Amino acid sequence: MKKDRNSFIFRFLLTLLVILAINFFLPRMMPGDPFSTTSADVAGDEIIVMTEEQREYYIGYYGMDKPQYEQFFIYLKNLAAGDLGKSISYKMPVWSVIKIHLPWTILIVLCATALSTFIGVIFGTISAKNRKKSSDRFMMAGMIAFAEIPSFLLGLILLLIFCVYLRMFPLAGAVTPFAVYGGVLDQAWDIMYHAFLPVVTLSFAQLTGVYLLTRNTLITVTSKDYIRTARGKGLGEKIVWNRHALRNALLPVVTRTGFMIGMMMGGAVLVESVFSYPGIGMTLRAAVVGRDYPLIQGILLVLAVSILVCNLTVDKVYQMLDPRVSV
Amino acid sequence: MTILSIEDLKCHYVTDGSVVKAVDGISFDIYEGEIFGIVGESGSGKTTIALEIMGLLPENVNIYGEVVYNGKTISNLSGEERDKFRWKDIAIVFQNGLEVLNPVINVGRQVTEPMIKHLGLSHEEAEKRCMELFEMTGLDSSWMSSYPHQLSGGMRQRALLAMALSCSPKLLILDEVTSALDAFSRKEIRDLLLNLQKECCYTMIVISHDITFVSSVASKIAVMYMGKIVETGPVRDVITSPRHPYSRGLIHSTPDIFIYKDMWGIPGDGFMGGEIPGCPFSPRCTQKTDACTKSAPLLCACGNNGRKIACHRGGIVSLLEAGDLKFCYQLPDKKSLQAVDGVSLDVKEGEVLAVVGQTGSGKSTLAHILAGVMKPQSGEVYFMGEPLCPEGYGSRFNGIQIVFQDPFSSTSSRFTVLDAIKEPLDINKIGTKDERLNMVKDVLGLVRLSSEESFLKKYCGELSGGQRQRVALARAMIMRPKLLIADEITSALDVSTSANVLRLLKGLQNRRGFAMIYISHDLTLTLKIADRIAVMNSGKVVETGNAHDVMLSPSDEYTQRLVGSRIGLCCHTHEAA
Ligand code: SF4
Repeated sequence: MKKDRNSFIFRFLLTLLVILAINFFLPRMMPGDPFSTTSADVAGDEIIVMTEEQREYYIGYYGMDKPQYEQFFIYLKNLAAGDLGKSISYKMPVWSVIKIHLPWTILIVLCATALSTFIGVIFGTISAKNRKKSSDRFMMAGMIAFAEIPSFLLGLILLLIFCVYLRMFPLAGAVTPFAVYGGVLDQAWDIMYHAFLPVVTLSFAQLTGVYLLTRNTLITVTSKDYIRTARGKGLGEKIVWNRHALRNALLPVVTRTGFMIGMMMGGAVLVESVFSYPGIGMTLRAAVVGRDYPLIQGILLVLAVSILVCNLTVDKVYQMLDPRVSV
Repeated sequence: MTILSIEDLKCHYVTDGSVVKAVDGISFDIYEGEIFGIVGESGSGKTTIALEIMGLLPENVNIYGEVVYNGKTISNLSGEERDKFRWKDIAIVFQNGLEVLNPVINVGRQVTEPMIKHLGLSHEEAEKRCMELFEMTGLDSSWMSSYPHQLSGGMRQRALLAMALSCSPKLLILDEVTSALDAFSRKEIRDLLLNLQKECCYTMIVISHDITFVSSVASKIAVMYMGKIVETGPVRDVITSPRHPYSRGLIHSTPDIFIYKDMWGIPGDGFMGGEIPGCPFSPRCTQKTDACTKSAPLLCACGNNGRKIACHRGGIVSLLEAGDLKFCYQLPDKKSLQAVDGVSLDVKEGEVLAVVGQTGSGKSTLAHILAGVMKPQSGEVYFMGEPLCPEGYGSRFNGIQIVFQDPFSSTSSRFTVLDAIKEPLDINKIGTKDERLNMVKDVLGLVRLSSEESFLKKYCGELSGGQRQRVALARAMIMRPKLLIADEITSALDVSTSANVLRLLKGLQNRRGFAMIYISHDLTLTLKIADRIAVMNSGKVVETGNAHDVMLSPSDEYTQRLVGSRIGLCCHTHEAA
């Protein structure tokens, strides 16, 4: 047991180190640097906004004149002390920048996960119950076709319909700027109002996966002996499905959902851009455009850590749900 | 009162256009308080019946016929209506398996569940009752909070039993309850079931391939073969004198019933896919006639004790019947020796009857008479319903052949192996020269001798005793006998050779399905191969019966002596008394 734990920690640290290295070197391999901004309109056209001296001064200031491996060690050293560095474009500590934007992403990701899991499980169950009937086939075909639409395209369509034409939802932002709220409820309502479309878009991207997984596992589970046992006991279809079948079928869904949260954090970039939602994805995009190395590193690290944490949590939750996996 | 009756039940599994008739026209009635056993090999359709009674067959099964419970037809009810009967009226102990219990719900919960649903108990009441049930079935109540994977096979079986008993059903179905159990638990479960039955008067259907178990609890039994009942009746009757060839084969391959006998299964395979026209057992049956492959026999009453059997020929037929045979030798000193004194016996199709007795008890004379070699001074021998004709049945196929004790006298030393074996064909002018040669080669293969040219040309005189006895056997087999009389065929051989010859003989008999009269003075050896034993003493048959019964509880005083006279190999040190 102890040995297991040690090897686990070792593996965890190793993974982290690899991630850190990639986070560090990859952005630096892109053309350009923080002090020469690339115009988004004319690709590759560099507009020098600083004089050469200024540039050198800043490069020295951020320690970028040293060899890269040395910079990496300094980065690791600071990191160990809990210092993520300073954002070049925001001119403030990276952590503070992340702290502002991360909650928004977490908000929409969690909501989207909950929504897609909920709807996916319900649809999957309905489909599995009507297996081999036309309603199941219809539903499945629809779901699969739906999954083919890329989420940013879907986001754009939703944006056009609901924000531009119908004007039901805001075009951008996470809250109404300069709003004064009458109370917490009021504020919550405003937040949900802004988050609604990004959440819907994100959940649609995940829905088909959950649906298919639920449907297929349920079909496998319902052919198991214990379902026959439960039926034989005359418990009624409701208990048979809800207590006996679903509980088993949800195990893989839980695993998937957990992994999904981590993946969605990264995947939110596109959706956030479409809705100009000030989450971590948007920030990452800006940081990449501005070659804000410390910020890029910081965000990537946070994303990587959140994926790792999700996976760990999934393991733990699974152990709680499935008594067969020994704790 | 009838609690459950099944009427012409058919369950056909339909998969991708092919139909498997798991249950094919079965009817039976079960009376209140009765224990009804259903036995059969795996795949015979036993479990399908159980599932249909519970209404649990999957959707791809076409069901015909009726299941009537307490006067109400339940087979056509919807799932919801059937729930009213499930567990409260009819409960089942499912066949033990890793996934028969829900892996993520603890065992106690799974047992209490139906009580809460059907009896309206509260959680606490149900749990209390569950504890009692666990105790009753021999499980510690601390296991209630465990999950199925933490239980051993035996414990799971008990939990399943506790679960089935939870709502005190009126009819309890037990599907292969002993298959996962060791001998001790098996006995415990059996005792538990019998107690339960006595106390609570459950009606039970016990389904198993384990005939010993079923026969030790059930009062009535049905033997199933490929979706049909081939024989049914009171347990004792069916087990001691099975009438259908299949039930006999099944019972004879049960080690607990024939403790001493070597195990020989029923030759052939049960399930071959495809449909068998006529009697499903016909491909394996040794006594089939043309009618058997044309139409399926119906289950008809035979006798008046509720016994029924499905066979065109009314069950196992007698191959040879002898009545009141007498033979007396005139000795030179004017005295006479009554060698055979009023012997009557019959040999059934496909069975091995051993005639045991001391030297001089008249066994050999009897053998000669039965084979038609000697004529009895009085009495009649019938073979396949016809009186034994003067020329005997040795000269034709499907007749009677005899192999003698002494291989040296039955196969002349001056004959080559080929000539010795094909002599009967030559004499009876059967086949062309090539056909005869082929037949010789075939039978040589049967008796595990080489069929090479060099061996065929050997003189019998050059062979060892064992080889020569095999040649004698081959000579008999070439006439494809329906009945083989083996007269002390191993007594002239050494132990190892005689063991080989005996195994060979029994193997042949089993595969070829001929009947055999095995004459011997060696009781131990006899028990290895015999189905029935006739004990002879001074010309009379003093006792006949099931080999096992005769051995374990000899009723005749002479038999007792014979049984007691075995010295036996004693491996313990003798203790001073
Ligand atoms: S005799 Fe015919 S009907 Fe009877 S078991 Fe044999 S094959 Fe079936």
